Amino acid sequence: MKKYAIAISLGMFILFISSAFDTKDDEIKFVIPKGWPKPVYDFSKNKLTSEGFRLGRKLFYDPILSRDGSTSCANCHTQWSAFTHVDHGLSHGINGLKGKRNSLTLFNLAWNKAFMWDGGVNHLEVQPLAPIANEVEMGNSLENIVKALDTAHGYRARFYLAFGDSAITGQHVLKAIAQFLVMFQSYNSKYDKYTRNEPGGEMTEQELNGLKLFRQHCNSCHAEPLFTNYSFQNTGLSVDTFLNDYGRMKVTGDPKDSLKFRVPSLRNVAMSYPYMHDGRFRSIIQVLDHYTNSVIQSPTLAKEFKTPMVLSVQDKKDIFEFLKTLSDKDFLYDMRLRDWRE
Amino acid sequence: MNRFIVVMWLLVLSTPLCAYSQDNAAEWVLSPKDTDKVEIDMRAVFKNRILRTGDKYYVSPHGDTFYVDVFRFYITNISFIGERTATLANDHLFDVADTNTYSFIVKNVPPGVYHSIRFTAGVDSIANVSGANSGDLDPIKGMYWAWNSGYIMAKLEGRSNVCKTVHNAFEFHIGGYMPPHNAARTVTLKIPEYFQVGRQSMPGISMTADVAAWFANNLDLAKTNSIMIPGKEACMMADNYSRMFFIDEVSYTPLNR
Repeated sequence: MKKYAIAISLGMFILFISSAFDTKDDEIKFVIPKGWPKPVYDFSKNKLTSEGFRLGRKLFYDPILSRDGSTSCANCHTQWSAFTHVDHGLSHGINGLKGKRNSLTLFNLAWNKAFMWDGGVNHLEVQPLAPIANEVEMGNSLENIVKALDTAHGYRARFYLAFGDSAITGQHVLKAIAQFLVMFQSYNSKYDKYTRNEPGGEMTEQELNGLKLFRQHCNSCHAEPLFTNYSFQNTGLSVDTFLNDYGRMKVTGDPKDSLKFRVPSLRNVAMSYPYMHDGRFRSIIQVLDHYTNSVIQSPTLAKEFKTPMVLSVQDKKDIFEFLKTLSDKDFLYDMRLRDWRE
Repeated sequence: MNRFIVVMWLLVLSTPLCAYSQDNAAEWVLSPKDTDKVEIDMRAVFKNRILRTGDKYYVSPHGDTFYVDVFRFYITNISFIGERTATLANDHLFDVADTNTYSFIVKNVPPGVYHSIRFTAGVDSIANVSGANSGDLDPIKGMYWAWNSGYIMAKLEGRSNVCKTVHNAFEFHIGGYMPPHNAARTVTLKIPEYFQVGRQSMPGISMTADVAAWFANNLDLAKTNSIMIPGKEACMMADNYSRMFFIDEVSYTPLNR
């Protein structure tokens, strides 16, 4: 009788433990927040499933993707910094090699039309190919990754669960990662609660003044609610003579695109320093100082900067306070996006 | 007078053609014993010699001696033209280094009589913007640009002493889907005899891809030895190699049932 009691309580304990560690993956549901545009990503061609999401998550955190098994996606994209490489102006990959650009934040990717600082990548699913192939990032090929996954423990079963086929293909690797990436959703910052009149959205006077100034000076490119208009702009930065990076022109071959880089979303911007495509500015105030003091005139300069931006020291502080309300703790600490070492 | 006779003869000769296509316009129903498959065989050649990679040398029209190391290209959107036009979603990557790619089967061809085959030499723009594709279009095949999305539609790599490059290499990676530099080319080839799909033998088309076409217009390897991005040069090369395809013969393989 005692044996039964022990067995039952042991069983209950195991159930309790497993439920405590349940990552609530059943709730893999993509949300289109009220008032937002229709996402660009075509979900009908890659149906979101709990299994696909979890496989994508495992791949995202697995250094098996890199040539020497040292570097995972998460090395340069950590959740608590809105999936960028915080405190790194230029990111580094295998063999400690340094890249040429500041890693971008990753969220609300289903609305992205083009990827990378220069927009060279045209679809979320093929985006991972760029860091995978880059000699200083992962230095690998999709072909090698598929071979490695094929013999790695536990992957074939996960591919079977996600796609009904245990034969691992490049397409399924990329679609799984995409399922994980589209779930990086940020729409619950203080600012969002303010616009929705929800509790927690009470803004201070300084923050409200910052929002007013933001709408006056920044909103034409960093358009709400996504805080980017997805365009490519020259913001009058000097050309770094070591990097010699002319941005989008390299992709389009069009001199009109010289020195243009993507307008990044400013959501979670307070968490994702340093700033600009080469990470040259360590603080938001430095960025604002550039816009008021050191914009370099050139033929491709964004029209917004043709006349100098005028902001007082207090204005900049207020804008900074407002930008901090764009940090989204629900996203930054979303347990589903953590590395579960499954 | 002479011209009149020619026109007369043309009219006389074309009559049976018209009659033929009209007679066959009726629906042709596939019986269970028939096949809706067509086998396409592809060989790579240089002029009249089978192409061999590595140690065999060739001479271009410009007079450059060269070796070939890599030769791969896509054929997509195959359609057969005849009494009806059958467009089939078929993507095939030919790779001279992989004999498994030397033949492939086009399925679901409606039964009928066809006189031409049409295909895209390369990959159309829709496939270029639709994310991760499967099969031969899987980016795993090494025919995809990571830093500037899009397919490499055809690759030719080799060596020539006239190339003042590392290892005397020349590299042509041809692609680009955005106008005005779209490198996809539509190729239409006349099938030498009437070509019948939907009887108890599987028709096969033997084709050749002649690398010599890449060197057309007196291409000078000393000057042009590296095309790695979309643009004018890539389009020039796509024009060149869109003329590399020839049909050798049509054959029928009896099905063992």
